[in-house]
Formats: sequence, structure tokens, C-alpha cells
Amino acid sequence: MKLNQLAFRNIFRRKRRTFITAFSVAFGVMLSVTFTGTGDYTYTNMIDTGAKMGMGHVTIEPLEYQNKPTLDKRLQKTNEILQQTRALDAIASAVPRIMGQAMFASANKNVGGAFIAINPELESANNNLFIKSLVEGKMFTSDSKRGIVVGSKLAKKLRLKLGKKLVYTTTDVHGEIISHIARVTGIFHAGVDAIDGNMVLMPLKSTQHALGYTADEVSLIAVLIHDQRQANLARDLIRTLPSVQGYAVLSWHETQPDLAGMIAMDKSMNYISQILVGLLIAAGIFNTMLMGVLERKHEFGMMMAVGLSPSTLFRLVMVECFWLALLGLMLGIIITAPWYYFLYHYGIDLSAGMGNDFTYGGVLIDPLFKARLFPESIMFILGSVFTLAMLAGAYPAWKAGRTPPIESLKTI
Amino acid sequence: MSDALAKDQPIVRLSHISKTYQQGKVQVHAVNDVSLDITQGDFAALCGPSGSGKTSLLNLIGGLDVPDAGSVWIDNVNLATLSHAKLAEVRKNRIGFVFQAYNLIPVMTAYENAAFVLDLQDIDEAEKYQRVMQVLKDVGLEGLEQRRPDEMSGGQQQRVAIARAIVTRPAIVLADEPTANVDSETAKSLLNMMAALNEQQGITFLFSTHDQHVMDKAKRIIQVHDGKIADDERK
Repeated sequence: MKLNQLAFRNIFRRKRRTFITAFSVAFGVMLSVTFTGTGDYTYTNMIDTGAKMGMGHVTIEPLEYQNKPTLDKRLQKTNEILQQTRALDAIASAVPRIMGQAMFASANKNVGGAFIAINPELESANNNLFIKSLVEGKMFTSDSKRGIVVGSKLAKKLRLKLGKKLVYTTTDVHGEIISHIARVTGIFHAGVDAIDGNMVLMPLKSTQHALGYTADEVSLIAVLIHDQRQANLARDLIRTLPSVQGYAVLSWHETQPDLAGMIAMDKSMNYISQILVGLLIAAGIFNTMLMGVLERKHEFGMMMAVGLSPSTLFRLVMVECFWLALLGLMLGIIITAPWYYFLYHYGIDLSAGMGNDFTYGGVLIDPLFKARLFPESIMFILGSVFTLAMLAGAYPAWKAGRTPPIESLKTI
Repeated sequence: MSDALAKDQPIVRLSHISKTYQQGKVQVHAVNDVSLDITQGDFAALCGPSGSGKTSLLNLIGGLDVPDAGSVWIDNVNLATLSHAKLAEVRKNRIGFVFQAYNLIPVMTAYENAAFVLDLQDIDEAEKYQRVMQVLKDVGLEGLEQRRPDEMSGGQQQRVAIARAIVTRPAIVLADEPTANVDSETAKSLLNMMAALNEQQGITFLFSTHDQHVMDKAKRIIQVHDGKIADDERK
């Protein structure tokens, strides 16, 4: 009889204990999938949302703009940069934007805020959160000279409605104060107070004109990529383009350090939770294997007496551990698959417990508790659980092989 | 003394071996300066009361334990010169063991238990099958090959254990109280079977026992008292 066949039969000697251990591994897989899956989903959601709020996953901007984002700093030859950037495979879109501070005044009130000037022909709900969040009116056209889309809270503060006039005051490229009239074409509601109460969207062309920019000058280019995990790779790729030399190319980690820090911290907490789950799994496997070894001490003594080498006995127990881990993983996949399907497609609505504030770290989050596992996360979970199980079995296996047969045979 | 004995020397030679165990604060001299030869075809019984050192002696001969003094030779090989792995090789290839408590592997059938050591020896399937089936027939278990230990009587289980011990054609079979756990009829039957194997196939047996049936059947009685050979008589 082959070693793996004997090991397979051995794990079913104590069926109840084997299944209890296998189910503990299975629930460990389920917990790990839940932790990792919701992490993968939430982080991606937050990073993508953050990127769509203005800066992109990767930002091309003037040097020092990050430290002091003033309107005198600007990119030139924007079209050339856009052309070269869009030609890269990893890039989903690259859009020019002007971002700045301004005072907004209606007939009733003055409020400080910020503006993003965009070309609506290049933007869509897929890459721009504000367009996606439009709740009244419509987006201005690219040729619009006076169109403006305002946040719902800002509109409320200024008592603005669709078609109403708004005066914005800012500084131009030379640092001179300028004022222009705009007319509200739309109102967005992103669900983040800091955005809805401060932000407006303006047409890129007319803003360039108002600020004294040429048609080829913008504050920054926001680059969105298909997979947020590739942000640093995309950044490094863009840095090699001839047209961006002399400019800063930054990933979202650098442009949104608060978000990056918060995600890193949350991930650390997640890892700690998973390590604890892993230890529980390991303890279960360790207990089962050690009990299995101790209660078969006499049998192992006989096997070694008739010629089984200590290393083969070690292998036998490790193969038993392998089968146990495999059984646990298979059960884990069986019980986790429907749970993951539910979390992936439907999720659990947590909005009742979150009130009206769906933000975390200043970024809009999905109130649905959903999960999405990256392929490498699946491999990581299965690999980690399997490795832990094998490690937990190593000591009992070593102990089995190390006990001299004469000692084992004394055990009844 | 050279490591290799001449070819006409016995299968087992014990030369002035001693073994002392520590039991709490007391030292027990289980084997005390024993010298003994077991030759090809012996059907010998180590006899003596409980605690006389019979099992300790068997363990030393079987390479399961190491003497404090003296040397044990099996088939011209001094066991003291061997590593744990080499000792396991000697046990696998040269010695058959029969234990008092059968010690079959409960998840294996009679056939698989009997074939266990052949599997360790990597014997090819066809030869293994032929040898195991023959030996199961020899021990009277024909037709019971697929039964597991819990489906067999004590006597049948001990027959499987004997089959496992002789299937590798060892130099010697060491049997520690092989009839202690079976009724007298079964004990007689087992002894007749082992005697037949000894007669017909020349298999060498060394028992430790205080069963009169075994002593009656044995061709050689070695009396052990207080760890020493008190008497060694051939019938």
C-alpha cells in the first residue's frame, strides 16, 4: 500500500474529529475570504472613487504643484502628453484638468470653494464622479462660455437653482484677481459634504481663457487605469515618456497620502485579524495531528520495528496532514462559494447603520458590504491556509519519527 | 574482534551483552552479561518469569534497543556499528517480528498488513502478490485476504502478524509472547503452524514465553533468570 493511500485512510479513522478539524479549516477559509474579499472590494472602490474625484490614479502635474497647487503652475504641450499617455496599454483614460481655489458669489451670499475645469467631451460618468453624481440639470458643453455645475450643498448655501447666475473670483496665471459670471446648468450630489459643499465644475476652454492659459495649458492631467493595483507601474511607465520630462508624475499614493495611509492601516488590521484566524486553524490542525500521533504511538512503534524509517514515518504524518488540509480547503471552497457569490453580487446593506455619511477618510464609500477577490488573493488565502496546516502538522510528524520504536512499543 | 563473522557462524550471536534500565531511582539490570548463539533452523524459546529479561533480550536481538555493553550480531553484522536508518534496514530485511498484541494496522486488510514490509522493501507488485497470497495460504488465511483486523478473531489476527513476519523471508522471526492473547486451542494451532513453517521452510524462530504449550513445542529451551541465561537445553 502506498504512503498516500495509507495516510488517506488514517485520517478517516476518527471521522468526527477529522470533519470537525476540516470544518474549522473551512470556516477559516470563509472568514479569510470575507476579510480579504471585502478589503479588496472596499479598497478598490475607495481608490477608484478617489481617482475619479479629480486627480486620477496617476497624475501628471508641474513640479512642486503637489506642495503648492497654485494656478501659475501649469503643464504645457498638453496634447502631446495626452497623446503619448493614451497610447500606453495600461491606460483607461487621460483627461486634462485645471484645478484651483475660488470665491463663489450669488445674489445672496459669498462662499469659498474649489473648481475643476474639465472638457466634458473627454469625460464620462465612468471616469468622473461628479458627472456620475449629477442629480439636476445637465453637464455644460465643451464650448460653453458660462456653464457651471455646482455641488448640491454649495447650491443650497448660495441659494442657487438651475439657470441662476454665479460669480466666481480667482487669480489668473499672472496672479491677478479676475471675476467671471457663470450660469448653473447642473447640480451634483456625490454624498460627501466636503465635495458637495465646496466644489464646482467649469468648462475647460472658457476657464483657460479666463485664467490666461493657452489652449495647450492645464493644471494637471488625471490618468485613470483599468486596475488600481497597477498604479505605480503605470506611473513608472508614464515617467519614461519624453513629453513629461520636467514634470512630476505621481501615483494616487502620493497625491492622496491620507487615503493611502488609511488603507495601509486598515490592511494591517485586516492582516492581524487574519493571522489570528490562521492561528486558530493551525491550533485545530495541530491538536488533531498530535492526538492522532499520540494515540497511534504503539502502532508507529510496530511500524518502525518492522523497518519503517523515521523519515518515512515523518512523511506519512505529513501526508495525513496534507489530506486533512486538502479536505478542509475543499470544504472551505464548498461553503464559501455561495457566501462569496452573495457578497459579490448582492452584499449586505449597511446604510442603516451608517446614517447619511458614507465617507471614510474623506472618500466616498459604498454602504454595501460587498466582496471582490483578486486572483492573487485567492491564491494567497489557499496557499496560506495550506502552508499553516502543513506547518501545524510538522511537529507531530517530527515527534512521531523521533520516538524510538522501543519507547513507542511500551505504550499500550 | 573483526566486524565480520565467518559464514559458518550463527544467525544471531550475543556476546557479553548487558542492559540496565533506570526505573525512578532504582537501576534494573534487565540483561546481565549474556552470551548466546541462535543458529539456522532453531525453534527456540526464551523462558522465565515476568521481569526476568526475556523481552529485553528480544528487543536487543531485534535492534530495537542498544546494549550498554557487549555486542549483538545478526547475520554477520554487528548492530552496534549501525546508524538508526541502517538498523531499520536490518529489521526490515533480516528480522521478522510477532508481537503479543498482534499490532496489525487497523485500516489495512489482511493482505495489506501482510504486504506492509514488502511495500517498504519496494518489491514489485506481481512478486508481492504471489508471495503474500502464498504466505496467507501457509498460515491458513486463504479467502480472508480482504478482511480488516476488526473483522477477524484474535487467532486470525496473530496469523496475519506471523504472515507479515515471514513474508520477507527473514533470517529470524522474533516472537514476543505470541500466544499470550489467544485461547489454548488457538495457541496450539498457531504453534503447530509455526512449527510446520520451521520444519518445512527452515524458518528460525525465537520466542519469549511462559506458555507451557510453547515450551513443549520448542526444540530449544533457554531459561532466563534475573537477566542471565540460567539454562540452555536442546531437546
